[in-house]
Amino acid sequence: MIELKDLNKQYRTPHGSLTAIESINLKIREGEIFGIIGPSGAGKSTLIRTLNLLEKPTSGRILINGQDITALSSKALRKKRQKIGMIFQHFNLLSSRTVRDNICFSLEIAGVPRAKQASRVERLMELVDLTDRADHYPAQLSGGQKQRVGIARALANQPELLLSDEATSSLDPESTESVLKLLAKIRDELKLTVVLITHEMEVIKQVCDRVAVLEKGKIIEQGKVIDIFANPVQPLTRRFIKSVIDFNLPTNLIDEHNSDQLIRVSFLGKSTHQPLISSLVRKYGVNANILYGKIDDIQGTPFGTLVLKLEGEEKLVKDGVAYLNERGLSVEVLNHG
Amino acid sequence: MAEVLGVLTKYNQLMYQGLQETLYMVGFSLIIAVSCGIPLGILTAITRKGHILENKVLHKFLDIIINIGRSIPFIILMVAVIPFTRLLVGTSIGTTAAIVPLALAAIPFVGRVIDNSIQEVSLGVIEAAQSMGATPGQIVWKVLLPESLPSIILGITLTAINLIGYSAMAGAIGGGGLGDIAIRYGYQRFKIGIMIETVVILIILVQVIQWFGNKLAAYFDHKT
Repeated sequence: MIELKDLNKQYRTPHGSLTAIESINLKIREGEIFGIIGPSGAGKSTLIRTLNLLEKPTSGRILINGQDITALSSKALRKKRQKIGMIFQHFNLLSSRTVRDNICFSLEIAGVPRAKQASRVERLMELVDLTDRADHYPAQLSGGQKQRVGIARALANQPELLLSDEATSSLDPESTESVLKLLAKIRDELKLTVVLITHEMEVIKQVCDRVAVLEKGKIIEQGKVIDIFANPVQPLTRRFIKSVIDFNLPTNLIDEHNSDQLIRVSFLGKSTHQPLISSLVRKYGVNANILYGKIDDIQGTPFGTLVLKLEGEEKLVKDGVAYLNERGLSVEVLNHG
Repeated sequence: MAEVLGVLTKYNQLMYQGLQETLYMVGFSLIIAVSCGIPLGILTAITRKGHILENKVLHKFLDIIINIGRSIPFIILMVAVIPFTRLLVGTSIGTTAAIVPLALAAIPFVGRVIDNSIQEVSLGVIEAAQSMGATPGQIVWKVLLPESLPSIILGITLTAINLIGYSAMAGAIGGGGLGDIAIRYGYQRFKIGIMIETVVILIILVQVIQWFGNKLAAYFDHKT
């Protein structure tokens, strides 16, 4: 669907040139929700804005369905942009227009005949659940409602791609969740591709299929969300994951048990359905005492960690750990006792 | 008291005519200034760096023109454009002739007012329109002008009130209107009552225009 090849963007500043993004190579598949996460200043915004050329890359190519959009004439680009919806952190609605007219705005831009506009707008308002707010002005809406107007407006011309530029960053947690749910719903119902940028791992965890981590203008890690969560490689990625799922042992627990044998067992998906701990106890005669545990769920896949205190013969304990490893759990020995 | 009122009634006809002349001069020059000043202001705003039709040279040129236009004192402008006024109207004396310098003085003023109003429109909203594939023309008509309308209305109100002040000065060179009456009767013939009366009428006029401008701007303002 989208392919970025060797994308670079440098800004000229009075103090020389500043690299915003560097050697970006990325493939985004049709129908997926692709997340790009990074700290502020990492170049996320620049990156997503190149996808509809609000930002012109210094070099590189942007292929959308095989077509290089950097080569389009300005007229052809305007036509193309009608098929790429975009939503923004600060909503960017027209304050002088009502909800209905804000949605209608994108139809007017695209030259949709007046007779067809009204019925389409009605359907879009239903989709985002704002029919009862049709004649309200943006100033009379909550943040979440404003963003839903933004989404309806972005979808008005039946785009194949939706870009979300920190769309939930200025919303409260409740509105964030409703907006994310809406994004997932429209992806499923309208079969469009969504690219979103965010600095919140929670957003990635809730809706994204795949994720790329951006640091200082470069992609340092990418893959399926569940894999990245289970197996983060880069320190930055670990930090992001820690912000939503903190599996670190409280320090008082560590102090209390510094002479015990402690292991940390992480599990993902199916293995949670097997009675592994009780098997360990029965098979090896090792006593397992659960000191600490956390289980989370990433889009329906259970994902968690347990810290166990093991008691038993040294060899049996070793075998037991090997057994858990075999069963697809990742085991980390925290303390040999 | 009765004496004062008697004097006032005597001059009622005169005042009424003066008010009409003032409104005629201000009204026409305002229409001309707005119809030239709005395109001027829009063009200045959108050619600014980072705006939708960035053009450094054109922007600088328009910016300087506006500044020059606004730095010439009205009394000097009025005299300086006499040949031009004659060419256009056939005479340089009278209310119709006064419209020419009034409009010329107000065009750059309106230009700056519109330029400022348009700059208030957030770049994010413009960007959203661009992301939908809007042309520069669509952005001007559907985004910039409607979004800055309340501010534009207040700016035009400001211009109208300025023009009332200028029109009084135009009276000094035979332009007619309330200013003319104040000078001829009040200043030159020491009729203080008449001078005060013209001033009172001008104060009321300004109050009414400002009130109406505020109401109209509030009607179109949905930002809060």
